[in-house]
Amino acid sequence: MISFKFSRARSIALKEIRHILRDPFTVALALGLPFILVIFFGYAIDFDMKDIRLTCVDFDQSRASRQLTEIFSESGYFKIGFPERPDLFLQELDQEKTAGVLIVKPDFGKTLSSPGQTAKVQLLLDGADNSKTSAILSYLPGIQRAAAARLTGLKRQEPVKLRTRFLFNPELNSRWFVVPGLATVLIGLISILLTALTVAREWENGSMELLLSTPVRPLEIIVGKILPYVALGLGGVLFVYLAARIGFRVPFHGSHALFIAACLMFIMAGLSQGLLISVVTRQQQLAMQLSMISGLLPSLLLSGFIFPIESMPVFFHYFTAILPPRWFMVIARGIFLKGAGIGELIGPLAALLVMDIVLMTAATKRFKKDLEP
Amino acid sequence: MNRTLNAFIKKELAQTLRDPRMRVILFVLPMVQMTLFGFAISTEIKRLKLAVFHDPGDRAARQLTERFYSADWFLRVEPEGDDPLRLVRSGRADAALVIPAEGLTRSLARREATVQLILDASNATKARVAESYVSKILATARRGPEPPGPFQLDVRVLYNPTMESSVFLVPGVMSMILCLVTIILTSMSMSKEKERGTFEMIISAPLENWEILLGKTVPFVLIGMLDTVLILLAGTLLFDVPVRGELWKLLLAAFVFVVTTVTIGILISTISKNQQQSMLGSFLFVFPATLMSGIMFPVENMPKTIIVVAYLNPLKYFVTLLRNILLKGGDPWVLWSNIGVLLLMAVATTALSFRRFHQTLN
Repeated sequence: MISFKFSRARSIALKEIRHILRDPFTVALALGLPFILVIFFGYAIDFDMKDIRLTCVDFDQSRASRQLTEIFSESGYFKIGFPERPDLFLQELDQEKTAGVLIVKPDFGKTLSSPGQTAKVQLLLDGADNSKTSAILSYLPGIQRAAAARLTGLKRQEPVKLRTRFLFNPELNSRWFVVPGLATVLIGLISILLTALTVAREWENGSMELLLSTPVRPLEIIVGKILPYVALGLGGVLFVYLAARIGFRVPFHGSHALFIAACLMFIMAGLSQGLLISVVTRQQQLAMQLSMISGLLPSLLLSGFIFPIESMPVFFHYFTAILPPRWFMVIARGIFLKGAGIGELIGPLAALLVMDIVLMTAATKRFKKDLEP
Repeated sequence: MNRTLNAFIKKELAQTLRDPRMRVILFVLPMVQMTLFGFAISTEIKRLKLAVFHDPGDRAARQLTERFYSADWFLRVEPEGDDPLRLVRSGRADAALVIPAEGLTRSLARREATVQLILDASNATKARVAESYVSKILATARRGPEPPGPFQLDVRVLYNPTMESSVFLVPGVMSMILCLVTIILTSMSMSKEKERGTFEMIISAPLENWEILLGKTVPFVLIGMLDTVLILLAGTLLFDVPVRGELWKLLLAAFVFVVTTVTIGILISTISKNQQQSMLGSFLFVFPATLMSGIMFPVENMPKTIIVVAYLNPLKYFVTLLRNILLKGGDPWVLWSNIGVLLLMAVATTALSFRRFHQTLN
């Protein structure tokens, strides 16, 4: 006997709205926090390295060796320093004072000017920081070409020339892909927190028991609880959208209606997850631990925000499918940058819908079980 | 140590660990997460979907194409129709390489071959890496090894020569998990008592203020240290992360870090009136701190105006310590300077909590 009266759900929702309006905390969490954090990190995150510290141990002290260090620093990627004790250059790496050591041997200039010989310069890089070292490694071919041309005056012809065209983000502005990603992580996490804590609090202070003694059915409670937060979550999305468009000039090529629909599904997934957590734990401390564990690190590390899913082992291509942010990440980037339509995004949208239904049903079922003696 | 304090610490421990669900959250989930993230994440970008458009009769192009798919960098996508742009736009390929219509064999012979690469740059990092992979493979397009030019860079990567991702990620993920577990646990412990009214009872007990704060700190430091050992075991046994430094350095660094995060949690707890406020406080700390731990984006690149925030992040110092101890054996200067900064933070936050605590009581 499924009896769902919208009027009862509506009164729960009205009560919840009054509750939210009285509590500046929830409004600040939903509207202010994502906005501030998106602006801060949108501004802070920059993947283009500059001024990487590099130590040069120059045993040659010739014109050629000075030219070489100039080429490194003129590239803008590196800042060259000279150690006080050249014999202790390894210590510079051990003490995290530099990202690499460039060693120029005493006969560098001479070898360079004698024909038929190859003048080698050794570069030791710090493998303890992969991200920095891989960035350096990707800059080196360009440096090597520039140095070879300038030091020897010979231009080496590449066998095949490459002309690259970057679609959707021609200038490779990393903010364009960071900001929608960041918005996804934050909106997802805050949706979980919104319901996880508020409902767990009602269990703790006993008002949930009171609610359960009324003739309201579980589904009505769940719907009534979620609806006001959906509105609040959409308000948060609006702020983040404005920050992205006005603050960072991220283009928006897709349809706004589709974007709102997708946001709705994504927020619902987060809210239902939070609700499930709070129904299961009934305790704010546990609820908070579980929401942060299931919400924060997976959405930062496994959603494709920074680390692409395709680069993960095959198992994780399937495993990550249970994470709502993984799907919304594709949707947000697709709609913002590529102008993707419903045809391209049908898979991720369907996945979100399935998750909404599953999480909502699980929360309701669990709730029902609590009601029975 | 007096008996009341002793009993107080025991009570706190028992209260926290009583709930079996909490024990799972505190001790099992961190190991599970460490394992999951360690296996999943790789800093190397692999398996990009690439379609190569060329004339089927072009032998040089066919050979080149095979070279693209021989590494793990690219997955083969069959070129459909003759519109590479549409293929990339639709998302069926991340990249499309277009060989000139006259054929690579002929243009190579004329020494002026130009190929076009169309990339999906909606992920800018991925696009940049894809371009560097393609140019690397193209550089070897001419048969036979190149004779070395008059100038050559001889690059060697120290400490982690194969650039193993896990070696880089395990310290970062470890510090994230530790920070998350300890901060949330501590920040809510005191506000929970305030909400339930049991806080008054503690205050009326024959305990000095510092004893109450100590009694709230010690149990969580103990729990944090147990977590450290568990996560360290998972991190080093499952993944090939070397431990080159002495164990005491590792444990000392972890201990100081756990003390710092616990004191930050206590500070949040003394400031907030209820658990919701604690949650907001710990979220405001944990989210930026984990994002700026250095494994997601290079922290030194941050604009000068806000880089101060990065230097206030205890995770930054702990990640530096962990990497240095695990991979470089723990240089004394790095060890003591970073531990010094963490201790300074712990002392400053404790002083603040103490003042705040005093105010609340009066």
